[in-house]
Amino acid sequence: MSRLRTLVLALIALATVPEIAYACAVCFDGPGETRQAFFATTAFLSLLPLGMVAGTGAWLRNKARRADTDGSAESQDD
Amino acid sequence: MSSGSFAYPIEPRPAPVRRKPFVSSGVLGMLVFIFAEVMFFAGLISAHTIVKAQTAGGMWPPYGQPRLPVEETAINTAALLVSGIVLLLSWFAFRRERSSARIPLALSILLGGFFVYSQGLEWTALLGEGLTMQSSSYGGFFYLIVGAHALHAVGALAALVWAFFRLYKGLLTETQLATVAAFWYFVVLVWPVLYIQVYL
Repeated sequence: MSRLRTLVLALIALATVPEIAYACAVCFDGPGETRQAFFATTAFLSLLPLGMVAGTGAWLRNKARRADTDGSAESQDD
Repeated sequence: MSSGSFAYPIEPRPAPVRRKPFVSSGVLGMLVFIFAEVMFFAGLISAHTIVKAQTAGGMWPPYGQPRLPVEETAINTAALLVSGIVLLLSWFAFRRERSSARIPLALSILLGGFFVYSQGLEWTALLGEGLTMQSSSYGGFFYLIVGAHALHAVGALAALVWAFFRLYKGLLTETQLATVAAFWYFVVLVWPVLYIQVYL
């Protein structure tokens, strides 16, 4: 019974209390230029680490492949 | 029921194949450090971009603040970029014959030293003109971003000087030079981004 009451209260709260919950009120404030700057820097800060990790991964993979190729060439020479 | 024991022939375990590491620990460690520093500068650039966008009337630099010496710093930037190229030449020379890397490495250090010295002179002049950390967000960001870079440049220069002395004594290894060079390349390559962001 108490579980049902909690669920109903939660549904009422969800339906009535917040309209939109902004994670950061500042990001949606100010003129269009500021908003654009927030979007641009968010994209920049999100993509930069992914790009660095992907780039390093590709570089290491390339190095490993080259090391394997060199190793197999050496063993064939033996 | 008898519990008979069987004697299986025990084959000697094959020795594990040890691959030669294709990236040295020094270079990998330096790359991790550089990633952290790239994110640090990315954070500063982002904050600067937002504050610049929020400035009333789009007036940047703010009214009453001195203008940054764009042309003089362009010369410093060129010196820093050339030092990076010379360091690359020193790397190739080192791989060919170790002692032949001395002159390009020394030249790279001198060019890097010129950059740091010139930036120091620029700071002195700007402080004289009234641009301080407290004068405005413009001044605050300038000293924070350019100062953070200068700190890295001094650290990387010290590492290059250390590498030069080891090279002079014939003790410098390829890994050590690669590690130190990676740090200097970071200092060199991040600067044009900061120059465009802060000065232009």
